[in-house]
Amino acid sequence: MTKITLNGREIEVDASKPLIAACEENGVDVPRYCYHPGLSPEGSCRICQVEVSEGGRPPRVVVSCRTPITEGMVVNTETPEAHETRRQCLEFLLKNHPLDCPICDKAGECTLQDYSFAEGQTEGKTEEPRRKLEKRMDLGDVIVLDQERCILCTRCVRYQEEVTKKPELTNAGLASNTYITTFGERPLTGNYQGNLADICPVGALTLKQFRFQARVWNLEKESSICGECSRGCSISAEVLRRNEVKRIRPLFDADVNKWWMCDTGRFAFEHFNDAERLTGGLVASGDNLLVTTTKDALARAAEVLGTGGKAAVVGSAWLSQEEAAALAALAGALGTKAVFVSPEANELKDDLLHTGDPAPNRRGLEELGLKAVSAADAAAAVAGAELAVLAGERVLAGLADENLGTAKLVTFDTGPCLAAGVEVCLPAPFHIEKVGTWLNVDGLERNLTVARKAPAGVEPLDRSLNTLHAALAGAGAQA
Amino acid sequence: MSGFETYLMSRMAREDSHTLEGYKAQGGYATLERVLKDMQPSEVTEIVKASGLRGRGGAGFPTGLKWTFMPDASKDPRDRYLAINGDESEPGTCKDRVILDEDPHGLIEGVLMACYAMGCAASYIYIRGEYRHQYRRTEAAIAEARAAGLIGKNILGSGFDCEIYMHMGAGAYICGEETGMMESLEGKRGHPRPKPPFPAGFGLWGQPTTVNNVETIFNVPFIVERGAEWHRSMGTEKSPGNILVGISGNVKRPGVYEAPLGISAKTLLESPDFAGGLHDGRKLKAWFTGGSSTGMVPGSTIDTPMDHDGMQSIGAMLGTAAMIMIDDSQCVVRAMEVVARFYDHESCGQCSQCREGTQWLHQIFRRIEQGKGLPQDVDMLTAIASGMAPGKTICALSDAAAIPANQMVKHFRAELEEHIQSGGCRINHTGNFARGASAPTEVHA
Repeated sequence: MTKITLNGREIEVDASKPLIAACEENGVDVPRYCYHPGLSPEGSCRICQVEVSEGGRPPRVVVSCRTPITEGMVVNTETPEAHETRRQCLEFLLKNHPLDCPICDKAGECTLQDYSFAEGQTEGKTEEPRRKLEKRMDLGDVIVLDQERCILCTRCVRYQEEVTKKPELTNAGLASNTYITTFGERPLTGNYQGNLADICPVGALTLKQFRFQARVWNLEKESSICGECSRGCSISAEVLRRNEVKRIRPLFDADVNKWWMCDTGRFAFEHFNDAERLTGGLVASGDNLLVTTTKDALARAAEVLGTGGKAAVVGSAWLSQEEAAALAALAGALGTKAVFVSPEANELKDDLLHTGDPAPNRRGLEELGLKAVSAADAAAAVAGAELAVLAGERVLAGLADENLGTAKLVTFDTGPCLAAGVEVCLPAPFHIEKVGTWLNVDGLERNLTVARKAPAGVEPLDRSLNTLHAALAGAGAQA
Repeated sequence: MSGFETYLMSRMAREDSHTLEGYKAQGGYATLERVLKDMQPSEVTEIVKASGLRGRGGAGFPTGLKWTFMPDASKDPRDRYLAINGDESEPGTCKDRVILDEDPHGLIEGVLMACYAMGCAASYIYIRGEYRHQYRRTEAAIAEARAAGLIGKNILGSGFDCEIYMHMGAGAYICGEETGMMESLEGKRGHPRPKPPFPAGFGLWGQPTTVNNVETIFNVPFIVERGAEWHRSMGTEKSPGNILVGISGNVKRPGVYEAPLGISAKTLLESPDFAGGLHDGRKLKAWFTGGSSTGMVPGSTIDTPMDHDGMQSIGAMLGTAAMIMIDDSQCVVRAMEVVARFYDHESCGQCSQCREGTQWLHQIFRRIEQGKGLPQDVDMLTAIASGMAPGKTICALSDAAAIPANQMVKHFRAELEEHIQSGGCRINHTGNFARGASAPTEVHA
């Protein structure tokens, strides 16, 4: 560790990291464009200038992303000289920037806006027309490039070279005619294009899917875990008007996904906004399913399960540890063992993040003793029983193509069950709506939090299962 | 020419000076043979160090000292390289061209000596894209030298191996910046690298590398042959030796001349041995001291010694000693517009200040020259230049663009203001002084 003085405070820092990282770790935010902790430092945007004095020499203004840390270095990020240098740099960056913030999707989370505000660069002095370049360059299925907004930090170029190892982007042209493009103007490929929109500090690279969808300051952003594979990337689920999930973005998790996530996970949120969402109970009456309250449906479920008979208990791979424990206990009361439907491996496995296994909590469920069974085997177990409990997000989707026989079904899922033997349908939350624990492919425990509040009537699944279990036990005690 | 000894251009009078035969007939490669036979590598470095030779690429860094920055070969066994900068693109500069054209073997001998001194097994000569003829001349000379056993394995039976490769640029000024040149040699875009790390530790392909200018290395065989004392007997104490001076602009005899450092710029301009003065009846209005990056100074400063200190005393730089003379028939604002356009075109586009600033300066100078200048423009030029330099960017191109702009405001503010007030340029520019983005004709009516 190396001792330096940062804004008058003596601190110990790791000299192998760039100075800007040491500042950040100690709560001093230095403006940056080309610097990104997940990419090699470039040192070209020149915005991260701070004042540094080494060995008692007079202070000079240097870029903090490329300056090695030395013992006894005195760093000051807030001197008038440092501020003036950064302000001047912003003046240059804004010279050709179109300032189309009112129609820019990045507005509100754009660091060109933030730093201009912070450094007081509020007035443009250029008299010349601004640079005219391609405003809507289609870079494939995911990304749209606005070359006019680009400040040429080259984060995207380095991301493609260093992270995805697909060097498809480049800067072309010279001097003030430099622009970002793809080689041969071919579309981008791969499952990691969405990250480009996250690392772009301005609105040059934007997601097609999010284009003109929402103002970012209207989004409520809460952390959660991606449920599309067993990697379990940390995500921020961003919700408009407490209702509609508009965007999923990765959150930094040093041990799991770092700064990145795949496009499969990023864009798998339309089902969260499903209008056919089950928000109350459904109970069978003759050939019909009648709407009722969750509470009444739960009472009816206890009656159905109280009739006795051979039971099957099937969960989904999206169950949290807490829900799986409740389900296992319920299965014990019904004289059976809980299993979970194991989705088949897909073709998306890669070297970066995606594991190719769509079961996000496989590892946790197996540790709790739930056996992974194929959809066909789970359906056969249900068909061979008189009673069955199907519980968890996507459990019904997993069994949709299977013949479930004539067993009396009690289901807990985000939607209704339309199988022949259905007796009671109860609502369950999506994983972004619940508190709980998942174990990822490497056995790392990650917490689910309520990123979006479940609709009224949707009880936490572990609570519903415990209530049902208690009702059965009560009925058993009375009998 | 009288009054001083010449050596740099001494061999070039012969018709076949560029051939091995012509070179050997004038004593070529004899010193190399002696060096390889009788001298230790460190002795070569010592002579160059003692000679006080300063780099001729513009910065004037002591060459011998630069060579000692290479890591100790016993502790750092990595391959090491010598890269020769022949990307001579500074406006006004054409000295390396003469060497590559007329005396390529002199350069090759210097390269071999420098490689021997620093333990480099390979050297790269980078030549600007427009120098096709010079490239072919040098290429032919290398082929001749290789056939004669002067390049390759076991040179002259000494056991010393050295390869020389050539590389042609594609016309970008920025590839003359040493790290930009290394990127270009590696096959990448010529984007200068941030320093540190410096080339001596992390150069070509990450190996220790020394980058020297063509003229610098061309000096080495003379110094090794005749000794450090001899070299110090010419020029000035701090800037010893002779230098190739390029004189262009409104002079009678533009060209490349050899002169000792410290000679008065006035002599270079007026002596019949050199440029022969301005055209009759003209007065010197302004001059660039050493290429466009050094900026324009008023003609009244012409009686100044051409060396690093002398040029500093008038707020300019020696640069590549490429003097551009501008007489009173010319417009300095127009000249500055051309210079600003050059930097706007040649910035690599990495650093924000340089990419946008060079364009901005060009736009303002163009506007002033066209008669569309605004009263606040002159101060805006200073503000832009102060945002671009000094040392605010990865390489010195930003400084090179900011310095002439600053010099312009400092020395010729009145001309700028006159252009702004009177709505354009008084001087009727005939001839194709500035192509492309030049001013519309009505402004010059």
